[in-house]
Amino acid sequence: MKRRRRNSKLKLEESSDQSPATTAEFSFSLTKIAVSQICRSVGYIATDTSALNTLTLTTTKFLQSLAELASSFSNTANRTEVNLFDIVNGLQDIALSTSDCFPGGSTVHDIESHCLIKSAVLRNLSDFVAYAPEIPFAKPLPRRERDGSLGGDLDQAPVTRSVEVKSVPAWLPPFPDASLCSERCIKDRPDHLWENSDSVIGREILPESLQSKIGGRLPVRRERVRFKMDQRDWSNSGDTRLERWRDNRDGESDGGVEVKKKIREGYNYCTGEWPV
Amino acid sequence: MNHGQQSGEAKHEDDAALTEFLASLMDYTPTIPDDLVEHYLAKSGFQCPDVRLIRLVAVATQKFVADVASDALQHCKARPAPVVKDKKQQKDKRLILTMEDLSKALREYGVNVKHPEYFADSPSTGMDPATRDE
Repeated sequence: MKRRRRNSKLKLEESSDQSPATTAEFSFSLTKIAVSQICRSVGYIATDTSALNTLTLTTTKFLQSLAELASSFSNTANRTEVNLFDIVNGLQDIALSTSDCFPGGSTVHDIESHCLIKSAVLRNLSDFVAYAPEIPFAKPLPRRERDGSLGGDLDQAPVTRSVEVKSVPAWLPPFPDASLCSERCIKDRPDHLWENSDSVIGREILPESLQSKIGGRLPVRRERVRFKMDQRDWSNSGDTRLERWRDNRDGESDGGVEVKKKIREGYNYCTGEWPV
Repeated sequence: MNHGQQSGEAKHEDDAALTEFLASLMDYTPTIPDDLVEHYLAKSGFQCPDVRLIRLVAVATQKFVADVASDALQHCKARPAPVVKDKKQQKDKRLILTMEDLSKALREYGVNVKHPEYFADSPSTGMDPATRDE
């Protein structure tokens, strides 16, 4: 019994109807081209579609895991930027699991090795660079523009980075255009109260004459209010300002004495003392 | 004293070798483009302005893929060839990257790829037209 197998030739050119829609698809298809080039350099003449997709996915996972390891090493050392030591440490960690690719993964912590080039992983890479033939990418990529934004970004609208702020990391997306933001602020600014907005359900629309009175605005000229705080401590004597005011007003009348008694009882009750 | 001088010289040599390797990365063009590598690195929080380190990551990835592919090729070559009358056709069809070889190669690198043994839309797909009616 014959098994017919559908093989995809190593196509370096993407057809126009399969153009990627998002950045992730675009980057994946670019990686696929690079992986297929490497496969061809090894000696393959064709690949299965599923095999090529799997190898491409593995490649992206390898890249991302190496990046995560290196950035975690740099973060542990209280740094935001990754340096050579972090990458070599990340490669060593990967080398422990993939000993066939990077042999000698456990030699970086050797006391005799004063330099990173003693790392077997780095030495392997050095030999690879020295002896492996150079295979440049098949297609030219859109280069970065001078302001740092990509020329052909698919997801984002072209946004220019106007001012470089040192505290903002370079990998964050640029700020939106400041001119658009200021326009929006100006539009929303003029004394627009939330209760008068259309989003409030059941809002009564009042005439303008009433709106000016009710709409949260205070009259321009209003009475001046003065407060005077008396800082004397009346708690020791057990007398309050209210009592003194009533005493002054009513004199020594019997009703005043009764009120005074009641207030004093209430006060003592509040402070936790029972009236004597 | 003498031992200290020797270790110092060895250190200088290693430093020189490392500097030379990093300088050679500036001239080397990896298959995976810098911008593509930078995109994947930025997705994982990797922040580095040095192009040489980006290229180092690209070279490491390229080596990984090349090693996996060459291992798969060895598996492909080691498999007994099917009997085909036309020898030329047989030679051309042998070197094809398949899931079977790839999963065997990736297993050695700690990546377990599971795929269905055989997938077909209908039971008759892929069968020889002569034996289909039987």
